[in-house]
Amino acid sequence: MGRALGGAPRARDCRGGLIRLPTHTCGVLVRLQRIWSFDSRNFRSMLLLSLGPKAWPRLSQFKPRILPRSREGEFLHAWSRNLSGQNQPRGPGLRTRLLITTLFGAGLGGAWMAAKAEKEQRQRQQRTEALRQAAVGQGDFSLLDHQGQPRCKADFRGQWVLIYFGFTHCPDICPDELEKLVQVVKQLEAEPYLPMVQPVFITVDPARDDVAAMARYVKDFHPRLLGLTGSTEQVAQVSRSYRVYYSAGPKDEDQDYIVDHSIAIYLLNPDGLFTDYYNRSRSAEQIADSVRRHMAAFHSILS
Amino acid sequence: MAAPSMKERRVCWGARDLYWQCLDEHEEDAARCGQLRSSFEASCPQQWIKYFDKRRDYLKFKEKFEAGQFQPSKSTENS
Repeated sequence: MGRALGGAPRARDCRGGLIRLPTHTCGVLVRLQRIWSFDSRNFRSMLLLSLGPKAWPRLSQFKPRILPRSREGEFLHAWSRNLSGQNQPRGPGLRTRLLITTLFGAGLGGAWMAAKAEKEQRQRQQRTEALRQAAVGQGDFSLLDHQGQPRCKADFRGQWVLIYFGFTHCPDICPDELEKLVQVVKQLEAEPYLPMVQPVFITVDPARDDVAAMARYVKDFHPRLLGLTGSTEQVAQVSRSYRVYYSAGPKDEDQDYIVDHSIAIYLLNPDGLFTDYYNRSRSAEQIADSVRRHMAAFHSILS
Repeated sequence: MAAPSMKERRVCWGARDLYWQCLDEHEEDAARCGQLRSSFEASCPQQWIKYFDKRRDYLKFKEKFEAGQFQPSKSTENS
């Protein structure tokens, strides 16, 4: 390895060749050497070094000509000539490189989006499957209506259903809520292009509310209001399905008692799935609006 | 005992409303509203009377509470 004017041996070799390891150390040494002897060629070569490995082929133009070479140095020099053509860098132009990068990025992005879409599709299918199972199994009941006919949830498939849980001996809340429910049904009935809504009243007091009692009660509200009753176990089962709390209070001398119960109107869609619930603070107009919105957005999963 | 029909319910509610109006006018003085009280008791089942009395207490309490008349007592700090 020869010596240049005032330079370290390693520095000069890496200046002449294109690829010399460790290149980073090499670059550092060259820069250090150049700091000591500054001229325009030095400046240009420093600039090329700082541009990175792509610019290093051009460094060969700054190679001193009187440099005695070792065999290794000669080999590397010839190799660098070959790689860099005629001392002019001739790789792909900037536009081509940008195009290739953009295409590559677009390809990656497209692959990622396709994978994401596939994952969402799979999740939707799983959810639909779970909903189908719930539509059939969950919230099912077997009760007697106020005409003595046995009814179960499948009988209402294809209809929107509004359910209220209460009891006939209720002082004021159940009549108020049933009145509200009937208002909702009447408002929706007034619109001929909407499907029919079935109002249902289920008792939480099966001990006193038999079929006859239910018949007497429901006729005061709406001709289509359906009363449902059953045995203690059947009522317990349907209340559990709909998460309805109820608890009979203490009896007085008349054997009368009040049943404490949660107050809500439940909406079932035509697939039999629980869709929404409305508590005491919602007015009839608000409930009717909400039912209309659900009807508009409805998409059957069972057909 | 059969449940009250719609008509009977409306009669009971009417009597209750009259009694409550009387109480509002006489500021909870039940002695001045004796007659309305007895007609209220005649129209409604006993359970309902108890229920409506409790409801009245609750509504009055709620009014006072919302008007801010209840302050937490100092003794609750150590409890």
